Amino acid sequence: MWNWATHPVSWLSFLGMLIGTVVILLLTLVVVMYSIYWQRKFIGWIQLRIGPNRVGPFGLLQTAADVFKLLIKEDIIPNKVDRVLFMIAPIIAFVPSFMALSVIPFSRTHVFTANIAVGALFYLALSAITIHGVMIGGWASNNKYALIGSMRSAAQMLSFEIPLGMSIVGVVLMAGSINLNDIIAGQQHSVWYIIPQVLGCIVFLIASTGELNRTPFDLPEAESELVAGYHTEYSGFRFAFFMLTEYVYLFAMAGLFATLFLGGWSGPWLPGWLWFAIKALIYITFQFWVQATMPRMRVDKVMPFAWKVLLPLALFNLVITAVLKAVL
Amino acid sequence: MSLSDGKTQLRTEEMILNVGPQHPSTHGVFRLVVKLDGETVVEAEPVIGYLHRGTEKIAEDLQYTQIIPYTDRLDYLAAMLNNYALCHTVEEAMEMEIPEHAEYLRVIIMEMQRIASHMLFIGAYLLDLGAMSPFLYVFISRERIVELFNEISGARLTYNFMRIGGLRFDAPNGWLQKVRDLVPQLRADLKLCQDLITGNEIFLNRVRGLGVYTTEQALAYGMSGINLRSTGFKWDLRKTKPYSIYDKFDFEIPVGQNGDCFDRYYLHMQEMEQSVRIIEQALDDIPDGPFIGKVPKFVRVPAGEYYTGIEGAKGELGFYIVSDGKDKPYRMKIRKPSFVNLQMLPELLKGQNMANVIAILGAIDIVLGEVDA
Amino acid sequence: MFGFMKGLGVTLRQLPKKKVTLMYPEQKPVWPERFRGVHRFIPDLCIVCNQCARVCPTDCISLSGTRGPDKKMRIDTYDINFDICILCSLCTDVCPTESILMSDTFELATYSRDNLYLDMHWLYENELAYERNHPERFVKDAEGNVESEKAGDAE
Ligand code: SF4
Ligand code: SF4
Repeated sequence: MWNWATHPVSWLSFLGMLIGTVVILLLTLVVVMYSIYWQRKFIGWIQLRIGPNRVGPFGLLQTAADVFKLLIKEDIIPNKVDRVLFMIAPIIAFVPSFMALSVIPFSRTHVFTANIAVGALFYLALSAITIHGVMIGGWASNNKYALIGSMRSAAQMLSFEIPLGMSIVGVVLMAGSINLNDIIAGQQHSVWYIIPQVLGCIVFLIASTGELNRTPFDLPEAESELVAGYHTEYSGFRFAFFMLTEYVYLFAMAGLFATLFLGGWSGPWLPGWLWFAIKALIYITFQFWVQATMPRMRVDKVMPFAWKVLLPLALFNLVITAVLKAVL
Repeated sequence: MSLSDGKTQLRTEEMILNVGPQHPSTHGVFRLVVKLDGETVVEAEPVIGYLHRGTEKIAEDLQYTQIIPYTDRLDYLAAMLNNYALCHTVEEAMEMEIPEHAEYLRVIIMEMQRIASHMLFIGAYLLDLGAMSPFLYVFISRERIVELFNEISGARLTYNFMRIGGLRFDAPNGWLQKVRDLVPQLRADLKLCQDLITGNEIFLNRVRGLGVYTTEQALAYGMSGINLRSTGFKWDLRKTKPYSIYDKFDFEIPVGQNGDCFDRYYLHMQEMEQSVRIIEQALDDIPDGPFIGKVPKFVRVPAGEYYTGIEGAKGELGFYIVSDGKDKPYRMKIRKPSFVNLQMLPELLKGQNMANVIAILGAIDIVLGEVDA
Repeated sequence: MFGFMKGLGVTLRQLPKKKVTLMYPEQKPVWPERFRGVHRFIPDLCIVCNQCARVCPTDCISLSGTRGPDKKMRIDTYDINFDICILCSLCTDVCPTESILMSDTFELATYSRDNLYLDMHWLYENELAYERNHPERFVKDAEGNVESEKAGDAE
């Protein structure tokens, strides 16, 4: 298999990388656009509405119109904000989210993504950087709601990171590798890890919901309490960047979930990328479904939940996995 | 200055946060000035009056019939009940006879209105707590009631339908049958809400044991309605001081046990079920007859002071009229349940965190049109 | 965990149900006969008794009339300020000749407050439009003239 890492960096390979990045970026934008569209449609149907239906056939261009509106909006930087931090915060939040995508194997061959040996770890490490962007944004906004929102966000993302990592370790033990590709290869030979790792899968689902700040853990943006949370003061394309970050993470997390528990691109008959797309869609739809059903958790019960319920569960799962692995 | 030496601690400051007047969860233009220590409320002060229209003063210059459209705009989610409260006070003062048919129709309409109002509470409360779907579901159910009101009165929100001595119109042909058909539908809608919300662990976790107060406290603050009943005190004017024809119906007054937000939510649910029962009974017994009694051309309340309260959707809704015998009140005072119930808020909020502020405020169920009048 | 699952089941069961959205600008709502929209006015019937203006709780009707050669009052101007009208329908209640009535026009949004002062001609146009839209609500006499409205709204 041709690999970026085994070749010296030449102008040609740099160009190749650049093209690959742009292609992935465009792909991501399309995915984000249509996951937002799907969110609105799906939740709309659940709520007995019809969702977007005006822009384009079946409202398919609604999100494009929204993004376009955000892009041409006046770029408002309020007077009393910390200008520099205010401006770079969305970038700090967005860049790692996009970089995290680089390890997700979309298909059998790594055409545009990297096959690095520490894939799962790389993902976790990068996603932790986004918290800085969110915190800086909330701090620099000089707004009380934004501050509370960003503090909540930081606390929450950090505490969910640990059970999330722990639930991944179970899978890693099963496969014997942190390389996401090896994990898929492991599942190809046996069953999908969702079956032996049921507990780990549940913990992963819950912790990833918390990590993504989605209902019922959407406290940082609790619009009924905090107006809009950390991006209260943002508008125009800076706001769009925060939104983009959120949905890119949704996509990335869906990819991770599919890879870890559902066998990634592996599957009979259909091409690999299609299997991947279907599996990611399942995760994304599940998130929207939960969003349409659940109220928000109470802020003072979220942290204890992460530390006192999820973490022990994940550890328990880890122990069982280790024991089973040793016995079988 | 070091952090560790214990005596000289890092200086922290309390933060003053203005929740409202433009805030998604204050149910209108209501402002809450909270002093926060971290996310914990040290002090909260409600600021009201953004929607003040001087209804009581305006009423002094209007004939009694002309006041009715103004009462629509008090608790605009339960306009029929407000209409009735005013008409009832005037009728009591003038010792009027109301035809049976009109009374039954009024009761049916009022109970439907109570359901519509409680439905909206459920939806708005869950929206405050972050769940979106229940809001839309209850709006669909409420729409069924509002459509029927539209048919009978010609309006969807501000009905202006009750008249002194009866009603403005009789029910159109087939309307009562439509209500009869609505009853099973309402039951199904209530079941959907029960299934979706009542058992949800996240919801229970969020509202159980929140905003607790005792019966004594509630009485000291003059609370009424569900806010009072949630503490276990059985006080519903429909039973304790029966007005209209409520003594003819068989229904229960559900009471809570703990006086927390969950009890307040759950009482709304149970009361709706009781209201459905009342509607059913009233539909079975409704006699034929005129829809308005004998009313003099000019409604003149004899000189004196009169007060009657009814069980509104939010609590005791009363009109106090001082009359000097003219066709306009000399002074009118409205006992607005939302306004009275709101008074306990600062005490309840002390020591809570921001998320609970919204949950407690939502459970008190205020309508700003009524608070500010 | 049980309640949680039950909730998910409830929301899933809503998916195939019929959607309730009304595609508004293309698809108009059907209003019942008693619906209180903007007024309609029949100048020929008005006897300038001023009762509607007096009963209006917001004082938004202003009218004037003159006595014609046959000693009958005829309406000259009749304006309603829809900026403050609350569509309470008290004016239609008291009108002895039913010359002021409610129609089911309800779209009043406009860019200027001045456009909300609607005069006699507009209100009469509205009456004609109402008659066109709801011919079934009017019974005709032998010569084909519109005579009166069907029962149900006559109280
Ligand atoms: S509907 Fe009411 S407010 Fe409007 S003109 Fe008639 S009486 Fe006045
Ligand atoms: S009440 Fe009727 S007849 Fe009298 S002035 Fe008004 S519109 Fe004319």
